[in-house]
Amino acid sequence: MTLALAMSFVISTTTGVLLLRLLWPRDAATCPWPLLTALGTGFGAGLSAVLLFLWMIAVGPTRGFALAEVGLLALVALTSLVRGRNRTTHHPVSSDSRRGSRLLLLLVLVFLVTLTAAAAAFLSTLRQHPHGEWDAWMNWDLRARMIFRGGEEWRTAFSGVIPWSHPDYPVLVPSLVARSWLYAGRETLLGPALVAATFTFGTVALVVAGLAALRGWSQGLLAGLLLLSTPFFIIHGTSLYADVPLGFFFLATFVCLALDERYGGATSRFAMLAGLAAGLGMWVKNEGLLFALAVAGGILFANRSDGWAATRRRLLAVGAGLLPMLILVVSFKIAFAPPNDLLSTLSVERTLARLTAPDRYYVVLREYAHHIASFGQNKFGSVAWVLTAYLLGLGVSQTEVSRRWVRAGTAALVLLLAGHFMVFVSMADELPRLLNSSLDRLLLQLWPSALFLFFMVVRTPQEAAADSFVMGRPLEDH
Amino acid sequence: MTAPQRSWAGTRIRVALLLVLLYAGASTVRWLHLGAEWPARSGQDEISTYERRFEEVRSVLPSRGVVGYLGHPDPTGATPREANAASVLHFRRYLLAQYALAPVVLIESVAPEFVLGNFDPGTQPSPPAGRWEKRDFGDGVVLFRRSGP
Repeated sequence: MTLALAMSFVISTTTGVLLLRLLWPRDAATCPWPLLTALGTGFGAGLSAVLLFLWMIAVGPTRGFALAEVGLLALVALTSLVRGRNRTTHHPVSSDSRRGSRLLLLLVLVFLVTLTAAAAAFLSTLRQHPHGEWDAWMNWDLRARMIFRGGEEWRTAFSGVIPWSHPDYPVLVPSLVARSWLYAGRETLLGPALVAATFTFGTVALVVAGLAALRGWSQGLLAGLLLLSTPFFIIHGTSLYADVPLGFFFLATFVCLALDERYGGATSRFAMLAGLAAGLGMWVKNEGLLFALAVAGGILFANRSDGWAATRRRLLAVGAGLLPMLILVVSFKIAFAPPNDLLSTLSVERTLARLTAPDRYYVVLREYAHHIASFGQNKFGSVAWVLTAYLLGLGVSQTEVSRRWVRAGTAALVLLLAGHFMVFVSMADELPRLLNSSLDRLLLQLWPSALFLFFMVVRTPQEAAADSFVMGRPLEDH
Repeated sequence: MTAPQRSWAGTRIRVALLLVLLYAGASTVRWLHLGAEWPARSGQDEISTYERRFEEVRSVLPSRGVVGYLGHPDPTGATPREANAASVLHFRRYLLAQYALAPVVLIESVAPEFVLGNFDPGTQPSPPAGRWEKRDFGDGVVLFRRSGP
């Protein structure tokens, strides 16, 4: 059974990595394996979830799906072999690639120690609470059980008779859990654990590898270290909710937008991959829809000085990647999902009354400030203060901060926070309870992307040290 | 840049890096503590234990369809706080029963032919109004089956 579960991971990851390598533009300066592997793991998992859903529509949740995936992998591997024979893999030249840099060695060491400790805590917490937390039994894994146990009647998973289980929520996570059971041949608590571990540690890998490819290893390791050290990120990863997987796809969108600006001059593939990642986010949670809109708004905002033609080209490329997932999500909402419980109870009168109540704005604003300031709190302090101090210490790279994608990403994050703000103000019945139970999770979804954005624009220790030679030698050599 | 300015800039960088390392260190200590709390046996958690209560009843329920649900405690209380606590407990038990018995759909109603009773262990629940056959699975789990109008 463990071998079958391992196979389920290897097959989706290998398919994702190979497909990504096939799509990787030939003229892009870099094709780094760490980044390909991290991105490919998420894209592969997303592809598997989508394929299983389509497979279920065609033949139901049957074990034949595993064979179909093996066939797909063989096809992709063969294509990759034929087309990739003449391709070489370049590695990026980062500012800290000099081996033996004492700072880099220190960071590698600290990162590995923290990674090992975080993995131990993750596994121990999952062993203590193998069913995760409340929403896992109420929604994500309940739905996976209904699909897997339901057989031909798997559509019961979306029954409107139990609206409290949110049957309108998209099904990437339940599909992946059910897929792991189809591979294993039976239900096992290792299935949801594997899905949670894939996205939790896959997000760390993507932050590190993305920044390593674009800004250098020290920057990647510092961001990865902070992510691994964010208590809520690791603990929530074990709750078996969908917020960490959603955060992975938000991050993947940002990484692909950054790659598009750096290497996408002659190709739209990175922009399309950004759209695909945002689309997979829509297949994880409804919040993904708002994120896709926020990204589109961010691109419009950031490219406004380039003229409409350039903006339209970029939007069309992102939209082309997004479109297949948008079709899938809309079809799911029309054909399978009952009406959303939050939207279906809305009335114009009540919504207007809420929108015109100043105290609701004050409560949401106060909670936003409190939750952001205290986010990632551990015994040392909040990570927000650590980042503020770090920014003051190292300063901002003017080259990076002036990039279009940075403006687009920042605008997208602001729009997303503003969108959630208005959802809280206009829709929430029990406002304090809802803010208390969901605001930290919403911030967690954005946290990997925010960290990536931060370490893209903040100067690397080497860049900062170049301006402050100590005794005639750079800081890193001391 | 003058020598004092360079020295100040270097100090700033070192302090910033040190802050990140201290933050990471504080979390690493917590992770090590959590990692050391490794349970000797798996499956002893609250949800797994609660789920085992339904193993026997699951084998006699229809494999699919809708089954009624009668839960305990009643979602009422003398004060709003007590009522809220009872309501949360009632709902938690209901959704854990649903989680255990999926793909059967549980609805809080006595209209279906089968009605699952999920009570505190040791209680003697009375059936809903009408004619019902009752089968007690122990530990507060009871299955009612409609035997007449």
